[in-house]
Amino acid sequence: MSSRPAGVLLVALAAPSLAQAPDAATILRRADRAVLGETAAYTLRMTVVRPNKRERVVEMKGWKKGDDQGLVRYTSPAKERGTAYLRSGESTWLYLPSAEKVVRVGARQNFGGGDFSNADIFRLSLIRDYDPTLAGEEMAEGQACYKLELKAKDRSIAYDRVVYWVRGDGTFYPVRADYYTLSGKRLKSLVLSQVKPLGGRTRPTLLTMESRVDEGSRTRLEFLTIQDDARLDDRLFSPGALERGE
Amino acid sequence: MSAPGRAAFLALGAILIALPAPAQTRQLELGLESFAYESATTPLNRENALGLDAHPGLGRLAVGWRETHGSFRAVFRGYVEQTWGTPGDETEWVVRQGYAQYWWGEKVGVRVGKQRIAWGSGLAWNPTNRLEPPKNALNTTLEQEGALAARLDWVPAAWASVVLVGATTDATPRDLPLATPEAERRDSAAVRARFVLKDTDVALVASGGKNQRTLLGLDLGRDLGWAAVHAEAAVYEGAEMFPPRDDTLFFRVVAGALRTSGENAFALEYFYNGEGYSDAGAERWLAGLDQVWTAATNPSLPPELQQQALAAYAAGASIPYAWGLGLRRHYLHASWTRGGATSAWTGAVRTVLGFDDGAVALTPGVGWAPRGNVTLNLDAVLLFGPEESEYRLAPVRGALQARLKVLF
Repeated sequence: MSSRPAGVLLVALAAPSLAQAPDAATILRRADRAVLGETAAYTLRMTVVRPNKRERVVEMKGWKKGDDQGLVRYTSPAKERGTAYLRSGESTWLYLPSAEKVVRVGARQNFGGGDFSNADIFRLSLIRDYDPTLAGEEMAEGQACYKLELKAKDRSIAYDRVVYWVRGDGTFYPVRADYYTLSGKRLKSLVLSQVKPLGGRTRPTLLTMESRVDEGSRTRLEFLTIQDDARLDDRLFSPGALERGE
Repeated sequence: MSAPGRAAFLALGAILIALPAPAQTRQLELGLESFAYESATTPLNRENALGLDAHPGLGRLAVGWRETHGSFRAVFRGYVEQTWGTPGDETEWVVRQGYAQYWWGEKVGVRVGKQRIAWGSGLAWNPTNRLEPPKNALNTTLEQEGALAARLDWVPAAWASVVLVGATTDATPRDLPLATPEAERRDSAAVRARFVLKDTDVALVASGGKNQRTLLGLDLGRDLGWAAVHAEAAVYEGAEMFPPRDDTLFFRVVAGALRTSGENAFALEYFYNGEGYSDAGAERWLAGLDQVWTAATNPSLPPELQQQALAAYAAGASIPYAWGLGLRRHYLHASWTRGGATSAWTGAVRTVLGFDDGAVALTPGVGWAPRGNVTLNLDAVLLFGPEESEYRLAPVRGALQARLKVLF
């Protein structure tokens, strides 16, 4: 008996069944909480890779509360220690320790010189900005996934369209995202990998953003520690708190 | 700084280096700063009245220390400086900052000691912050000295905060190879209420005090998508710059935008300085300098009168380097910087244009971080424009500023 029909059968059995799939919004909501909880405190390492250049590494600690509030402070290298980004609502601020000054910056602007924008870093959740549609099932990064088409709710959102793959094995771990402009051009791709226990549960801990415009340019965000359900005061996410520095 | 003060400075440095502490709670910094100038004979330095060598300069050994334990933080930043090529070459000890801070949760914080207030959205000028020496608009990356102050921060909500400050200072802008006039001590009280309303920063400022103008200020900031824009304005009574105009209300405003794209950041900022000299006012000032200089060099006058005239000349010539924010009224600051947290090299070009008289200051700079805890910055300050424009009147033709920092 040929092995090919048997192999196809196994894949078909392993793939999520569309008939049984939860709705797109549920999938997206579950995926949004796969990496970080509703509130979280974490540390992470960002590695920026550029062609023909040495890899540059920055370490930081961060806090998030809901989809609207986030604070990240650089801890390493020493020359960047104390630099901080704050997001609250639609506003983003940068704290420059050398000037002891808070400066307003744009959400679409690059975070720390890497391939993630400020919005990417502070809004790991997509449900708020995008309308999801379930577009079937596909293999992505070697995993059987639900494929979601996300359409921006309004034109102020950084990416007009996102194609999003979420594991269909009940874990709802996001696997990959492709980001598109209004003109249909693919700007960058995000792969979530290195699924492992961290902070009391298993989750993807490595996010790799690859530029589709600059060949060979990519940025890795690796979560080093995560504490979900951290009790965080809203005032931690205020420009006033940012001004006081680390 | 007095001899006991210098001894304390050195003792503190030795103690800080010797004290054991977990690495993440203590940051130490050692720095070397060297500024070299090319002097010039100008209407503000007639016949080299300032007595400058062709290339005066200064060198500094700087130290920084920051200790954090939970909600408590202590900071010290200072330097010892040696000047050369000036008549009064001296060694000077300066404390830039030295304060202790404590926060009760996220709600209330107190900071006492010499500190930077550093409020205001303006990038090169801050009309609402007159509590401490102003920034150097030609090179905004230079570290400035703070004011001795007590500061109370109250954050009642994430969208609102109030700062109360009582400050005193007699510091003058530094970084020049000439003695700026001794400043009268300014004792100030200030309050700043800051809000975030519909994604817009709004701050209201009121300040005043002894030898300090009563000021009301407004500060706004918002992200428009393509850039973050800001505007900072102040209205105050009485000029800060000679001639005295005590019963006159003056208005200052900066308005600008900041846009970043990848590793590039572009900034543009316009500054209106209401108390700056008009063309007629600048002519009168220069004519006044002519008169007192003529008297100072008139051999037929008694020496005492010559000395008085010379002192008047020195005072008049130092007006641009005192506490004001500029000699004239209309300025534009533009800058491009490239490089971020993950870059070994950073580059920058900054320029200030004086629209009233065509003055131009160009400050190209480069930064190199061969390691994560070492930075070297080199900036050149080049001054252009018509001979009697503000920057060409300066007794220096240009400058080279080098700063090395090592962090531990």
